[in-house]
Amino acid sequence: MPEAAAWADLAARTRRRRLLVDATLWTFLLLGSLPILVPYLWLLTVALSGRTGASTTVLWGTLAVLFPALLAWSLIRLALPEGRGQRRTEWALAAIALFGLAIVTGPHLHLDNWRFLWNPLIADSLKGASGVGTKFPSVWSAFFNSLLIASAQMVMVVTVATLAGYYLSRFAFGGREAYLQGLLVLHAFPAMTLVIPIFLLVYWAGLLDTRLSVILVIVALELPFAIFVMKGFFDAVPWEIEMSAMADGCSRRRAFLLVVLPQVKVGVLAVAVFAFLRGWEEYVFTRTLLIEKANWTMSLYLFWMREDVMGTDYAMVSAIGVFYVIPSIVLYTATQKYLTQMTIGGIKG
Amino acid sequence: MATVELDKVEKRFGEVVALEPVDLAIRSGEFLAILGPSGCGKSTTLFLLAGIYAPSAGEIRFDGVRINEIEAKDRNVGIVFQSYALYPHMTVAQNIGFPLRLKRVPIDESKRRVEAIARLVRVEELLDRKPAQLSGGQQQRVALARALVKEPQLLLLDEPLSNLDAGLRLAMRGEIRRLQRELGVTTVLVTHDQIEAVTMADRIVCMSKGRIEQIGTADDLYARPASLFVASFLGSPPINLVEGTAEDGAVRLGERSFAANGSGPLPQRVVVGIRPEAIRLGEGPIRGRILDGEPHGREWIWLVESEVGALRVVEPGAAPRHRAGEQVVLGWSESLLFDAADERRLQMPGPVPS
Ligand SMILES: Nc1ncnc2c1ncn2[C@@H]1O[C@H](COP(=O)(O)OP(=O)(O)O)[C@@H](O)[C@H]1O
Ligand SMILES: [Mg+2]
Repeated sequence: MPEAAAWADLAARTRRRRLLVDATLWTFLLLGSLPILVPYLWLLTVALSGRTGASTTVLWGTLAVLFPALLAWSLIRLALPEGRGQRRTEWALAAIALFGLAIVTGPHLHLDNWRFLWNPLIADSLKGASGVGTKFPSVWSAFFNSLLIASAQMVMVVTVATLAGYYLSRFAFGGREAYLQGLLVLHAFPAMTLVIPIFLLVYWAGLLDTRLSVILVIVALELPFAIFVMKGFFDAVPWEIEMSAMADGCSRRRAFLLVVLPQVKVGVLAVAVFAFLRGWEEYVFTRTLLIEKANWTMSLYLFWMREDVMGTDYAMVSAIGVFYVIPSIVLYTATQKYLTQMTIGGIKG
Repeated sequence: MATVELDKVEKRFGEVVALEPVDLAIRSGEFLAILGPSGCGKSTTLFLLAGIYAPSAGEIRFDGVRINEIEAKDRNVGIVFQSYALYPHMTVAQNIGFPLRLKRVPIDESKRRVEAIARLVRVEELLDRKPAQLSGGQQQRVALARALVKEPQLLLLDEPLSNLDAGLRLAMRGEIRRLQRELGVTTVLVTHDQIEAVTMADRIVCMSKGRIEQIGTADDLYARPASLFVASFLGSPPINLVEGTAEDGAVRLGERSFAANGSGPLPQRVVVGIRPEAIRLGEGPIRGRILDGEPHGREWIWLVESEVGALRVVEPGAAPRHRAGEQVVLGWSESLLFDAADERRLQMPGPVPS
């Protein structure tokens, strides 16, 4: 048996090693996330403070406050034991950082760049004229179009993927293996390669310049993978639950609705969120298939605002960009608690 | 309560024959056990009764009425799965009440019946919990309650005890038996554990490779097994099987010859089955040597190399009466005689040393 002193020494060494590991981990996370976070921060600062043209003053000021605060926070996390004390120090730090931000950026903040929200004729009032002709649509029309395309597409993807995933998971039929492989292969092709054939198809179908065409195209492209994901979730639901439901008095359909479907809620949610985001951010096919200004989506509105207004107002473009990502962020924050429970093909624990 | 008949019922999955044509009649209120090793078609038989599988051929009758075409949901059969198959998103009360909800039983009557059955299986304290918050034994009881709440005409249990630890298994054996007696429901228990079958069931169906080997009481199967398979599947430690030859009305085992005990012709090659507990060490004409011994609480199991072959012997008593290497004599009072070719038991007593 080692002496008590030797034990204490061993414990101290373990503590030091853990501290070192934690510190390294934090550093890497911090450095790794900076290149992603700084551009968004810039977007935000420009949207809230820029005056015709991008200026980096506010960004540097913000970083000068946030970076030390981030470092201090890491140190708090590493050095202080978890508990009330740590939390109180964190709150104090947050208050100081906010105060610093208010001092550094406060005088520069204004909402001028957000005029596009309440002035529907904003584009025409800006310097120069729009090359696509006058009368830009209101941002709200674009917002509504994006919402419509994303939601309709999401509903279709979720419905079809759920039913098809269940069928693929539970029923044997000729060519099942080939079908499953086909789903994966389909997903492997970049959608970009299909732009021209899809344009022709949509044209021949007489759907060119309709929102329905974009909805159908994204549904078709998104479905293979969504079906595959849903099949994985259904595979994780034991057969016996379903058999039990049938012995309890369910038809196959009711067993599916009452017993199986609730087990794959997380899967349905995940497919829905990703489908919505995909539709919300769609650019390639909206650009190809939508022409009429009344049909523009947010991505097109943003594009034309940047592209077509002479002497582009980057501050306003940034504000539009922030406005554009807000729904994605809200949706993701609202659902991430459930989404992180997800592992491939099932629910943890 | 229902009588159940299987009439040449067969089940194939593509090429795989899970169940060869079987005949089986279950009496009303009977507790029947289906016993056999894993993969022999026990669950398949149960799922055929429940209506989860449709038979490939043959007829299933409840109370004399053909029910092949009746769907599972309309058969009024309660079933408990090996994994319990509770619905994870429902509370215990909702789980138990699920069959009633489907039958559109009024809410207050449903609540009353759920509470009554929960009391019966002793889970009335757990009604608001989710299945994930229950122990294995509690889940088991909830599954049982769910199967019983609709007052089924037939209760099916698929290895309901195999996921429980030993102590709980013992308790639940008695519990299930008590419930079955109280309710008088015709019950089929599937198990690979002979003790479960023997202690709980009125009659046992012994199955192997999709065939029924024998139907009878525990005593029938133990004392008068129809085949080598049944003889070796029942009994612990397992029966000693000694291969021998028969000539001129005598059976030759190893170096010894025994007078055949019955009349009638004997096949050339035979197998003699001797229960370990029928052998007595220290008295008898057969010589042997102790190879090894294992203590089993209140008895010892000895492995003996004898003139007729290697034999396992059970000797009562907590203290060992022999040691390895010791020379002993032994004999037995009864044995079973099988035809080595078709593995069926011959209708005459087996040879006994005189
Ligand atoms: N759904 C199925 N598809 C194909 N084969 C099956 C299916 N169910 C059971 N089998 C086969 O039938 C045989 C009997 O299975 P089962 O009744 O589950 O055995 P037990 O319950 O006695 O362990 C096994 O060989 C098994 O592989
Ligand atoms: Mg089984």
